[in-house]
Amino acid sequence: MSLTNPPSSGSLSARTRTVGQNLKRSLQATVDEALDSSRRPGAYTSKVRVRDRYHIVGFISSGTYGRVYKAIGKNGQKGEFAIKKFKPDKEGESIQYTGLSQSAIREMSLCTELSHANVVQLEEIILEDKCIFMVFEYTEHDLLQIIHHHTQPQRHAISSPMVRSILFQLLNGLLYLHTNWVLHRDLKPANILVTSSGAIRIGDLGLARLFYKPLNSLFSGDKVVVTIWYRAPELLLGSRHYTPAVDMWAVGCIFAELLSLRPIFKGEEAKMDSKKTVPFQRNQMMKIVEILGLPRKESWPGLVSMPEYTQLQSLVLHRQPAHYHRGPNLEAWYQGCLKNGGYSASSSIGTPGADGFDLLSRMLEYDPTKRITAQEALEHPYFSNGGPISGNCFEGIESKYPHRRVTQDDNDIRTGSLPGTKRSGLPDDSLMRASKRLKE
Amino acid sequence: MAANFWVSTQRRHWLFSREKLADIRERLRERDKLTHSQFPLPDQRLLNIYFNQQLIKLGKRMSTRQQAIATAQVYLKRFYIKNEIRQTNPYLVLTTAFYLACKMEECPQHIRFVVGEARGLWPEFITPDVAKLGECEFALISEMSSQLIVHHPYRTLSELQGELALSSDEVALAWSVINDHYLTDLPLLHPPHVIAIMAIIVAVVFKPAHPGNFGSSAQSALAGAMRDGGGMNMLAALSDKLGSGPPRIQKLVQWLAESEVDIKAVIECTQELLSLYEVWEQYSEKPCKELIGRMVKSKNLDK
Repeated sequence: MSLTNPPSSGSLSARTRTVGQNLKRSLQATVDEALDSSRRPGAYTSKVRVRDRYHIVGFISSGTYGRVYKAIGKNGQKGEFAIKKFKPDKEGESIQYTGLSQSAIREMSLCTELSHANVVQLEEIILEDKCIFMVFEYTEHDLLQIIHHHTQPQRHAISSPMVRSILFQLLNGLLYLHTNWVLHRDLKPANILVTSSGAIRIGDLGLARLFYKPLNSLFSGDKVVVTIWYRAPELLLGSRHYTPAVDMWAVGCIFAELLSLRPIFKGEEAKMDSKKTVPFQRNQMMKIVEILGLPRKESWPGLVSMPEYTQLQSLVLHRQPAHYHRGPNLEAWYQGCLKNGGYSASSSIGTPGADGFDLLSRMLEYDPTKRITAQEALEHPYFSNGGPISGNCFEGIESKYPHRRVTQDDNDIRTGSLPGTKRSGLPDDSLMRASKRLKE
Repeated sequence: MAANFWVSTQRRHWLFSREKLADIRERLRERDKLTHSQFPLPDQRLLNIYFNQQLIKLGKRMSTRQQAIATAQVYLKRFYIKNEIRQTNPYLVLTTAFYLACKMEECPQHIRFVVGEARGLWPEFITPDVAKLGECEFALISEMSSQLIVHHPYRTLSELQGELALSSDEVALAWSVINDHYLTDLPLLHPPHVIAIMAIIVAVVFKPAHPGNFGSSAQSALAGAMRDGGGMNMLAALSDKLGSGPPRIQKLVQWLAESEVDIKAVIECTQELLSLYEVWEQYSEKPCKELIGRMVKSKNLDK
């Protein structure tokens, strides 16, 4: 029986109180289960217990992997933490060990190795009661929340020094990942975390992968990655060869979004059909073409060998060609964006100026082999001109950003289904295929 | 670091001195003297050969890449320096190491498929319940502190292939020497590049009489070559950084002298490998299988 079911009788106020208490109990119960672990030989029991080290204070977010909680340390463990709880699949009534997802394994193993000021810091991993608890430092903000704050109650642009600091730190973290052969593959505002002292931390390495050569072919495994709005054109056109350029495209999209407070390429995702074939993301590609113009084989020689090249051509035929042959107008988009945001040299928020445009256009370069790298971007005039860059993106900002929402409405986490954001990618579709094979 | 060995967890937490390793194992034995005397097991290297052969059988029908098998072998080593083998069901542990290594090396297999294959091979020791494997996965990851990224010598070999102008025969032989080093403690003792260089030296210097005839029989051919040939003198020369012998080998010696590789460590690895090949000649599957079977059954470790 669910702990959070309200009692069937009693006054309303009594019921509410009971529900409140039960909710609290349920929250703590997320880490309090496991007492019944049998003592048979070989049974796994954790040496460290989450509840001995952390006090869960609320719920932050959920995804297909599980849920994230805010916690404070206890018994000598100091500070605030974000605990990501991976849930095993449910088999029948009770939770069983069903093998960890490849995505959890990747995130655990990568986070254990990584250590950089602009990458989210892992404190520890606890395997307890058939669940994995990844304990991270707590970050008060993320870029999605900051961008949203700037649209409330009416739009007011993020100051250009703040944008510059965010972008510099983001690129710095990404350079670290790339020089260590790690592709993030799912960069988006929600995954870029910001501490209360204005430090940027790249988070959520659930889709990250190593791209060693030559032993690890990236052809195997998952087909689709990166939230569609931030997905690079070569992926949309069916490339199966992931490179760091994929992450740099996403950084370009995030740069544009920081300036305009809207996703620059806000396409609609075409869903997978019943045969699990990956459809051509026509709408998303159109959104890019509307701003950048059509990719041309003269400036992107690899274009003609893209698997979806014919789809791209049909996209031209079916639309009014005139509209798409006006030539690229990213510059017009950029100027419009500066104007709407009130960016100018004389305004209090300053302006990213011509250097900002040049950097953006190099990040949103169609040809992945010509796209600017993290290293090159850090050396770009946008950063070298115009004075020092603060390691605190909030420096000089007077307004306070709201704190992360931490809620108590965690109805029966232990057995409830997991609503919420489904990843656009298929972290483990190769596993799905394997299980299908097995059934056949 | 994910791709930088020098700051990796492998270098920081999973490389030991020979003395330290011996000490760790002695402590495991001390803690459980009775079981040790009740269930004697063959030489660790013979057990390793047996486990490796089981892993290869398991991987056979799943088109697993060699690197996943290598990673699984490293996981087994790490697990068994923290846990007494006599308290475990080695068949379950090796199946789990394989399952986990496949995920890490990007050739994942479904848990039901792995359990099905393992049951086909060792029906007496593997139950159809996938939760057993899932639980063992927790134990494995926990004992390894989630440090699952393993740096292998294969990468160094591919990187040096061009620089040292290695022939395809030499690369193939060095590759099989690397495969063999997982049967020893070397992965817990030396960094992967030292192993790769050892493998290259063995391939170039001790080239067995019949190239092309290696593979499964590499060990005896190599062992013979290493015993009989003058290779050991060459190694002695190496440590003095004096080149001698044919130009091909002189070039390698010169490269080594300039590379600042720990020559002593390379020589130690070569000797370890030679001693493996000598032990290998006594290998027979039967005693390994029987001793492990008796241990698992009488202690009910498969339950």
